[in-house]
Amino acid sequence: MDRVYRVGIDEVPKRLTLKEAEELRLVFVVMPGISADVPFDISIEREGVKLEIYGLYLCPRSEQVNFRVRVRHLVGGSTSTQLFKGIAGGSARVGFDGLIYIAPDAQKTKAFQENHTLLLSDSALIDSRPQLEIYADDVECSHGATTGSLNPEELFYMRSRGIPEELARRIQIHSFISPVLKYLPEEYRRQILARL
Amino acid sequence: METILQITGLHASSGGKEILKGVDLTINKGEVHAIMGPNGAGKSTLSAVLAGRPDYEVTAGSVTFMGRNLLEMTPEERAWAGLFLSFQYPVEIPGVSITNFMKGAVNSKRKALGQDELTPAQFLKLLKDKMSMLKMKGEFAKREVNVGFSGGEKKRNEIFQMAMLDPSFCILDETDSGLDVDALKIVADGVNSLRTPDKSAIVITHYRRLLDLLRPDRVHILKDGRIVRSGGMELAEQIETKGFDSVDG
Repeated sequence: MDRVYRVGIDEVPKRLTLKEAEELRLVFVVMPGISADVPFDISIEREGVKLEIYGLYLCPRSEQVNFRVRVRHLVGGSTSTQLFKGIAGGSARVGFDGLIYIAPDAQKTKAFQENHTLLLSDSALIDSRPQLEIYADDVECSHGATTGSLNPEELFYMRSRGIPEELARRIQIHSFISPVLKYLPEEYRRQILARL
Repeated sequence: METILQITGLHASSGGKEILKGVDLTINKGEVHAIMGPNGAGKSTLSAVLAGRPDYEVTAGSVTFMGRNLLEMTPEERAWAGLFLSFQYPVEIPGVSITNFMKGAVNSKRKALGQDELTPAQFLKLLKDKMSMLKMKGEFAKREVNVGFSGGEKKRNEIFQMAMLDPSFCILDETDSGLDVDALKIVADGVNSLRTPDKSAIVITHYRRLLDLLRPDRVHILKDGRIVRSGGMELAEQIETKGFDSVDG
């Protein structure tokens, strides 16, 4: 099942324990204008769990957002996938501190984590710290983080086709966040696109 | 005859280096002009300056496009006015489908010209018409712009975009480079099918083979930032057999 949390608006759990073999998708979204710390610690205590965590942070102005995400595989045979994407513009500060912990004997675990940020201004800042702590040997794990800016070649290409610069930027941002955006309800998507 | 494009004494530089050193060129309505020249002559700089690429600086001269000062217009304003550049190296835009890209382009242009935006149904019909005209397959429109395209597919996508936007003036910047004979034929057929008596074009190329298919009205040789010779197809033939060194610069 899906659970969508609007940080700063909905009540967001700080800690979860999964004791059933379930499929769970958690989506955290930080709307423009919201500053918040988002500590989240989830433990998987049952094999057969399929966990997906998506995060979307939209910080176009002076927002300060800090994620501190812990995914703990305490038993083996479960899968976790994390994808956090967002934008940082103006003088926004974004921190992402993400840990995957795999306990001894939690064999056959699959755990993945990615964090990608689009920097929209020179004074915005992103500090991304993905970490792995693995104590089992038969596991599949990866993590990655990237920071990029809007590609001037893409912008010129779109403008040369008659797409105004402002819309070209929005198209690029939309395409960048779309892998997470697609898990949000239509209403939230509309709100986000209207406020970017 | 009505002049579409008038370039006078155009000087332009990039990264502090002067590349165009006084280009003069007049193109009338309905004419297709070819510009040939060795590497580094300034061919792509000329097309970049005409399309408004930000990293080039015009230091002297003027360009008038359909009576307007082209150099004061933004790239999107140039597109709305009817100018189209087929890129030598088309840009990949991950995550953006060709359909959405073209919808943004077509409707932005219509809006700028004070026309109603196309309804989704009207847009789809336009898309299908142009795709079938250029013998493109249905799944093409769903693909991300130029992502994973072969060289030939990228160039054909440029011609497709040209068909969608229906420009009055096209610049084909080495649209033939990197194409095999079959792909070249498809691109040339596409360009020819879009030709009407009131459309004009500049075709930039190293080779004669595209010109054989497009039959330009005039051929110009660009060397070291200047047009050093103008003539007809016989000039292209001379270049093919004797090389650019046979033309004084």
